[in-house]
Amino acid sequence: MADDWTTTINTGVPNPARIYDYFLGGKDNFPADREVADQLLAIAPVARDVVEDNRAFLRRAVRYLVGEAGIRQFVDLGSGLPTQGNVHEIAQEVASDARVVYVDNDPMVVTHSRALLAGENTVAIQADLREPAQILQDPEVRELIDLDQPIALLLMAILHFLPDEEDPFGIVAWFRDALPAGSYLALSHGTTDIPERPDMSPEEMAEMGARVERLYQLTTASLVTRTRAQVGRFFDGFELVPPGLTEIQLWRPDGRSSLLPGGFYGGVGRKR
Amino acid sequence: MAETRAHSGGGPTVQRMLVGARLRRLRTDLGLSREEAAAAIRASEWKIHRLENGQVGFKERDIVDLLARYQVRDPAEVAEFLALAKEANVPGWWQHYGDVLPGWFRTYVDLESAASLIRCYEGQFVPGLLQTDAYLRAVVQGAHLAETSEEVGRRVRLRLARQTLLTREHPPRLWAVVDEAALRRPVGGPEVMRGQLERLVEATKLPNVTLQVLPFASGAHSAMVGSFTVLRFPDRELPDVVYLEHLTSALYLDKRAEVERYLDVIELLSVDSEPPARTVEILTGMLDEL
Repeated sequence: MADDWTTTINTGVPNPARIYDYFLGGKDNFPADREVADQLLAIAPVARDVVEDNRAFLRRAVRYLVGEAGIRQFVDLGSGLPTQGNVHEIAQEVASDARVVYVDNDPMVVTHSRALLAGENTVAIQADLREPAQILQDPEVRELIDLDQPIALLLMAILHFLPDEEDPFGIVAWFRDALPAGSYLALSHGTTDIPERPDMSPEEMAEMGARVERLYQLTTASLVTRTRAQVGRFFDGFELVPPGLTEIQLWRPDGRSSLLPGGFYGGVGRKR
Repeated sequence: MAETRAHSGGGPTVQRMLVGARLRRLRTDLGLSREEAAAAIRASEWKIHRLENGQVGFKERDIVDLLARYQVRDPAEVAEFLALAKEANVPGWWQHYGDVLPGWFRTYVDLESAASLIRCYEGQFVPGLLQTDAYLRAVVQGAHLAETSEEVGRRVRLRLARQTLLTREHPPRLWAVVDEAALRRPVGGPEVMRGQLERLVEATKLPNVTLQVLPFASGAHSAMVGSFTVLRFPDRELPDVVYLEHLTSALYLDKRAEVERYLDVIELLSVDSEPPARTVEILTGMLDEL
């Protein structure tokens, strides 16, 4: 529980987790969130598709990790509000002994995760990605996760909320060094790079990205898009599994994503 | 969220809300005003308002005329719509309890059985869906709500019938925040309370029940105004409904702005309550002190 009776959530300030919930058709969002989300959709009508594509990418990445890669331990950083197809549900469809830690710094997200997701093989903790040591030292995490066995670190649509000043590359490198060999990193990240597509020029895409970034200034987290080369740096020390770092729609597609690639890069890498 | 239908026939109230919501979407998709729609069924703007909010039953002729106005011409689609509207007139199972079940509570039972998520804050009592038979009898007798023991018995049977929804196929999730005061008050005496607290410990083992305790230590809090329940339905188009029970009536809120005030409060209460993983330990402590 909270240490004092100060309110730890404010539904009057737009919040990325609830904006995401709104895009996915959830009902855990408030007017401030919907106002920003609707403005986002006005600027970038594809935003809703990209968010759905990101959920689909998460699903394919987790299925790969638990299937082909044989991973049984997951740490989902910046897990967001529970929705349909949460990581433990996807993983446990393939392996019922898969264990999942959900981590978020948003108290509303953690409260929902504890209420709706926690079970025998899942825990939800409140922690900040920028304090990585606290996450791996958390007693609940240590009870569920064996740090001597391979772990899949999931960073889905979260690193673009960390500007370079917050040292996102250093944070990912810290996790890489802390995890045993054979561990995996799976991430997706917003970008304004644009593959060849008929409906938009690179200039238009860059302009759209700049407007989206400005809009996120109104929320509790600012947004930083990155280029392919920049996102690729997160995989230093990891070996990308085929097809490498791609638009999320093109990563081992199963025919359920929208057809137009773009918006987010995604990839899965194995620690060497 | 998938657009699934309510799993246990939701009963007339929810069916009406659902049909109403679909009518509203058809109308707004065409950019028609309520007034323009009303002309098609020779009625007032107010009638359209009430139809779209599920506040009145549907006449087949009105539905047929409205669908024609809304350019729904596929006979199969029209037939499905009419079938749905017809379902809205079928009485629910709780009609058997008519004499102990006032109209305002029937609506609640109807909505509750259609919900996929039931979130409540209870300041005085253990939530109805988790009460034991003996606890409920003590509450009913204490409140002088019923005169004869037969009526008490029917009331208890109704409650037990409602409780089966937590263990039916595709059950809703109950996420309850219960004030420590409600758990400490020895309703019916220590033995009744022991049975009730043990029942709560059992309930936490159900995968679809989440119970959080709001401790005394929290001091003043955002729901001191009273208990309330928020019902959420699986259908994307149905808004959340807030239920506020009074002694002789109940209030249903479904206007978004009002509902969101309560959602805001329940979010705060859930964040500030003890996490669900601590509930069994807290209940066990209370049992030891009985």
